[in-house]
Amino acid sequence: MQLQSTAEIREPVGGIMPLAPDIAGDESRWVRMAQAADAGAFEKLYRAHVDRVYGLCLRMTGNPSEAEDCTQDAFIQAWNKLPRFRGDSSFGTWMHRVAVNTVLGRMRKSRREQDRIRTVSDVTPGPQTMADDGELRDLEQAINELPSGARHVFVLNAVYGYSHGETGEMLGIAEGTSKAQLSRARRLLAQQLKMESA
Amino acid sequence: MNENDDNRIDDELMSLAAKLNTPVKPDRDLWPEIERAIGAPVRPGRSVWNSVWAQAAAVVLLVGGSSGITYLAVHDGGDPTTPVGGTPALIFEPVSGSFGSQYNLGPDYQDARRDLAAKLDDELENLPPETRDVVDANLATIRHAIEDINKALAEDPDNVLLQELLLGTYRDELSLMNQVESITRTAMRRGDI
Repeated sequence: MQLQSTAEIREPVGGIMPLAPDIAGDESRWVRMAQAADAGAFEKLYRAHVDRVYGLCLRMTGNPSEAEDCTQDAFIQAWNKLPRFRGDSSFGTWMHRVAVNTVLGRMRKSRREQDRIRTVSDVTPGPQTMADDGELRDLEQAINELPSGARHVFVLNAVYGYSHGETGEMLGIAEGTSKAQLSRARRLLAQQLKMESA
Repeated sequence: MNENDDNRIDDELMSLAAKLNTPVKPDRDLWPEIERAIGAPVRPGRSVWNSVWAQAAAVVLLVGGSSGITYLAVHDGGDPTTPVGGTPALIFEPVSGSFGSQYNLGPDYQDARRDLAAKLDDELENLPPETRDVVDANLATIRHAIEDINKALAEDPDNVLLQELLLGTYRDELSLMNQVESITRTAMRRGDI
């Protein structure tokens, strides 16, 4: 797993980082071509977005293998739903929503969440750790150990910058529940990271 | 710990979390399996005709098995209602000197298709996720088939067989959209009891 340099980090807009204007222009064309069943254009969309989608799936599931499956499922779902994509949001934002639905659907279906909790502590740091920086690595690990409800809200709201309204809509929960889960996540993370003693 | 400490910790945590908003590269290329799953439709150099027949076969199979959609939605005992009005007659109105995607269908059909397509998103929201996925996949198959048949018609505009195939595929699309409407109406009626 390779991380982009932290120097490339930009502020999130609508939950994801914006594409450069020339890429965004190409992207509209690829979307139209993929809507007309052009698999080559869809592959270009995949190449442009896979790292963001995989990153989201990884943070929501905490399991690299499950995140790969979710990413593949999300792109297959996106291909099937593409004729109904009207461009009200960017393709990246739409793709994020498809990915979130895919993660939640798989979790509901397979009931692997308990397995995830058991196996995540076995995941060795190093190549499977998402962040290089010590503080970030600790935070990644602490997020992985959150209960799923709090983790999903924290990932979407605090990491990807979605509002509580958007987070609630994506997760199928009320806005107030999203706020409560975020507060719970912050409290648990602060305890785990022992920030109060800093 | 006082309120100022809480705020400082929150700020610190949120600013740290925002730095995690980075793409992560998967260990392996996930595309080949995705490509296989989506059936890799029309590729440059590949015969349009092969694709058309493959797509037509897929549509026939899915329409033949479309009762599965109804089953998924109403397996707890309810019967789907018959759609009000039914499917309007499908009539081709070829535009003079044109072909393929320039074929127009009768105004009743176009109205029905437009109305149903506009309602479809709302209707799908009322269906269970599993049913929604089946409907999405089936609609995608039908629409990809329509695209491919149109491409084949562009090469052979007078081909009656292709015209019939296109007509039948449009009819299947309308039938599927009608079915979705019927299912959601049944589900809502049961939910109202």
